[in-house]
Amino acid sequence: MNLPIETEDLGKRYGDVRAVEHLSLRVAEGEIYAFLGLNGAGKTTTMRMLLGMIRPTTGYATVLQTRVRLGSREPWESVGYLVEMPHCYPELSVYENLEVARRLHPGVPREAVGRIIERLGLAAYVDRRAGNLSQGNAQRLGLAKALLHSPKLLFLDEPANGLDPAGIVEIRELLLELTREQGVTVFMCSHILAEVSRLAQRIGIIHNGRLLQELNVDELEQNRRRRLLLRARDIESAHRALIAAGQPAEILQDGTIELKSASSVERPDDINCLLVKAGTPPTQLMVEEEELEQYFLRLVGMDGGLQNE
Amino acid sequence: MNNLSDMIWIELRKAIRSRMPLWTALGSLFMPLGITFLIFVSKNPEISQKLGLISAKANLIAYSATDWQSYLGLFGLLIAAGGFILFVLIISWVFGREFSDGTVKDMLAVPVQRSSILLAKFIIVAAWSAALTIVILIAGLIMGAIINLPGGSLSIIFQGSALMVITACLTIVVVMPFALFASAGRGYLLPIGAAFLTLMMTNVVALAGWGEYFPWAVPGLYAQGKSSLALISFLIVFLTGLVGMIATYFWWKYADQSR
Repeated sequence: MNLPIETEDLGKRYGDVRAVEHLSLRVAEGEIYAFLGLNGAGKTTTMRMLLGMIRPTTGYATVLQTRVRLGSREPWESVGYLVEMPHCYPELSVYENLEVARRLHPGVPREAVGRIIERLGLAAYVDRRAGNLSQGNAQRLGLAKALLHSPKLLFLDEPANGLDPAGIVEIRELLLELTREQGVTVFMCSHILAEVSRLAQRIGIIHNGRLLQELNVDELEQNRRRRLLLRARDIESAHRALIAAGQPAEILQDGTIELKSASSVERPDDINCLLVKAGTPPTQLMVEEEELEQYFLRLVGMDGGLQNE
Repeated sequence: MNNLSDMIWIELRKAIRSRMPLWTALGSLFMPLGITFLIFVSKNPEISQKLGLISAKANLIAYSATDWQSYLGLFGLLIAAGGFILFVLIISWVFGREFSDGTVKDMLAVPVQRSSILLAKFIIVAAWSAALTIVILIAGLIMGAIINLPGGSLSIIFQGSALMVITACLTIVVVMPFALFASAGRGYLLPIGAAFLTLMMTNVVALAGWGEYFPWAVPGLYAQGKSSLALISFLIVFLTGLVGMIATYFWWKYADQSR
């Protein structure tokens, strides 16, 4: 199986600081893999090691079946990237910045510049000095530079940064189209779980330089904690009825009953019947799912989150 | 060395659009204009009396540039000191701006040899510095003619011009290591600070009599027409430039680029 990105025990230390350690990743062809972590978790250091900008202190990485080495000109012909901020030459126009990027990729035809300008919606800004672009358009220019030479593999650091909601949807659609229709592999970094869950097929969660968990998007749904919240006119009677039926229920401070068992969350209708038969029908019944951000913070140990059984 | 012409195009376009060549050309014109102004002041006592302190400087310059030969020799010295600072500014901008603008990362994971990218930068620095030398020389010749300097024969002017151009070439070579300071210092501050320190050290070393072995003192000694300069001095200059370029290459190839 061709793996566009593979790392083995990849690590980077700066003195006593372990920026990244024991990172073993496999990213499949045509996959959108999101690397999720808080600021300083080691996302950008990993991306820079994968791009041959930083020498790992342990392990190694292969990109497009080529061992990554500092200062090498391989395998970058088929790799596009946007690392951290989308920097550009402020005195050059949008077109000239893309022409510079084109010349840094020998063999890319001149027409590619016009094509990518159209695709990223930069036509109105072609002659504008890049230094005068809005943050959103600077991000578009950064993405255009990454996509200009039709790469097989894309490294994108916070691709939605600075974009307005319409722009975020547009870029999301573009990336999904590239993976579906051209088999492009995308490795992206983000700290926004809600955004990556809409885009990525697989998510790696990194914290303090270590990969905590790797999961598919459907696994993410399963792993999020859920609870059943209900209200009744006589809370005490309803609570007693639930306990008597063997349902571990708890009365919260706001007078709501909370049930966390899998049976109650999956079959709230049964709980409803039970309470109706006990003569304390619920006035409100609601299954609440853990927010994505809450799930993420729980994983990295920075939030109490919802305590499931 | 693949894609060198494309890399030169990139560097040229960045330089031209930044308008830095224009500003440095205007800056370099101050040298010939300043010198001829001072000579003009010293030749006109009625102006000289009104200007006080400036007239003292003017007399100093005028005494050392009484004819075409000494006038062009003075320009050689000017290139070795003022030109040196100007050329360091250029090399600092060409290399340091990639770090201060954050654009260096876009040059790292690309299918172009690092050597082509860097060689194009060195070529632009050399060509830009040489062009400024020509601007200074032409302006100097015109101003010299305007103030009607004596002792001007074609061969004297040619020899004086050649002295100045060779001094500029030596200065350009010894400026090359400052690319490493701009890269490792990730901006302009380190190379410019190092340039002023070098200039001070040059004076000290030259006073101590070791100038011909100190690469940054050699252009100044050459401009003074030191016939004692041996081949070893030129070799030291050449090696300094070469080592500076090679060290810059290794730094760009093997140093961690974490910003």
